Amino acid sequence: MKTAPNNLSEIFEKLQDLKEIFKFGEKIVPILQSLIEFMKDVVPLLENINTSIAESTNKMPAAFNQINNVTSATEMATTEIMDRVDNITNSLGEIQKSLSNISSKSKAKTEIVLQLADFLADNSAAKELLSKFHEYDDIDPQIDKVNEKISEVNNDGYQIMLALQVQDITSQQLTAVNHLIESVNDKLASLVDDIHEANLDNEVHKLEAPEGATFDPNARFDRDENRQINVDNIIDEHKNKITSQDEIDKLFSGE
Amino acid sequence: MEIKFLVVDDSVTMRRIVVNSLKTLGYDNYVEAQDGQDAFDKIKADSSINFVITDWNMPNMTGLELTKAIRSNGPTETLPILMVTTRGVKEDIVQALQAKVNNYVVKPFTPQVLKEKIDAIISSI
Repeated sequence: MKTAPNNLSEIFEKLQDLKEIFKFGEKIVPILQSLIEFMKDVVPLLENINTSIAESTNKMPAAFNQINNVTSATEMATTEIMDRVDNITNSLGEIQKSLSNISSKSKAKTEIVLQLADFLADNSAAKELLSKFHEYDDIDPQIDKVNEKISEVNNDGYQIMLALQVQDITSQQLTAVNHLIESVNDKLASLVDDIHEANLDNEVHKLEAPEGATFDPNARFDRDENRQINVDNIIDEHKNKITSQDEIDKLFSGE
Repeated sequence: MEIKFLVVDDSVTMRRIVVNSLKTLGYDNYVEAQDGQDAFDKIKADSSINFVITDWNMPNMTGLELTKAIRSNGPTETLPILMVTTRGVKEDIVQALQAKVNNYVVKPFTPQVLKEKIDAIISSI
């Protein structure tokens, strides 16, 4: 059984502890007050951030769709250009056939005129007319010139067609941009979810990329011949060497 | 031997450009596929296809996956494959070689390069 002096000693010790707590309390209260003031400032700030995120992310589906629309529009425009180029090429082909036909008929006509000339060998007026006929009988060189021009236009049309590879390359670049937008949107969605837990509203919409879409993020329209030369060199160097993943790993580790 | 090409690309534009280039080079026998899976189905269904020109980046099955599928399928394992792609970095080229493509062309390509690669493959088979 404890004695009275012992009890009193314990009470004094407890009072001493209590005093320390009060002293600590005096120190902590201003800190708590500052914290409360800080929170008063921070909560509206968080609400502002939440609103800003929501406003920004609300614009993301529009940007995402806009990029998809650009891709579709350029694909349609490219198809239309190709259709026109094909039409021009087909028309030029028909013109070439007609020219060839004209040339054949012209040769046949000349042949007939020459045969006719034999019957009129003694007729001076006929000789004069025949001479004039030969002056104007230069259709084949003219046709050759036209055919040359047609070939040039055909070649230009083909070059236009080749240049339209830019559509595929830019569409991959745009898909890469959309992929970035999607990633940022997902991060923001996760952030907004966290803020929701602090009872703040606003919602981020999930963006839906076309299923299975793949792209080359480094796609570029570069006609530098060195790109293909570089590819050929790599193929020449390694075509017969590479048989395993280990060898590929060695290749990239510089062993 | 008559060559029957299978032109594989998810881009209608690119398929048309490749087909036009083939026609310019004098090759009129071709079929088209819009992705790797479509291509593989056509290859299995049509044994007269004897040359594949494929893009890399495509939905459903990529050109690289298509190459691996062709190489691991007995009847088609030696089918010539020309990869035509925007991917020009060393890692990609090596990956394609490991998958056993016969040759590799970077986009944008020129008809001369396409002809050179097709001729090289044909002369090697």
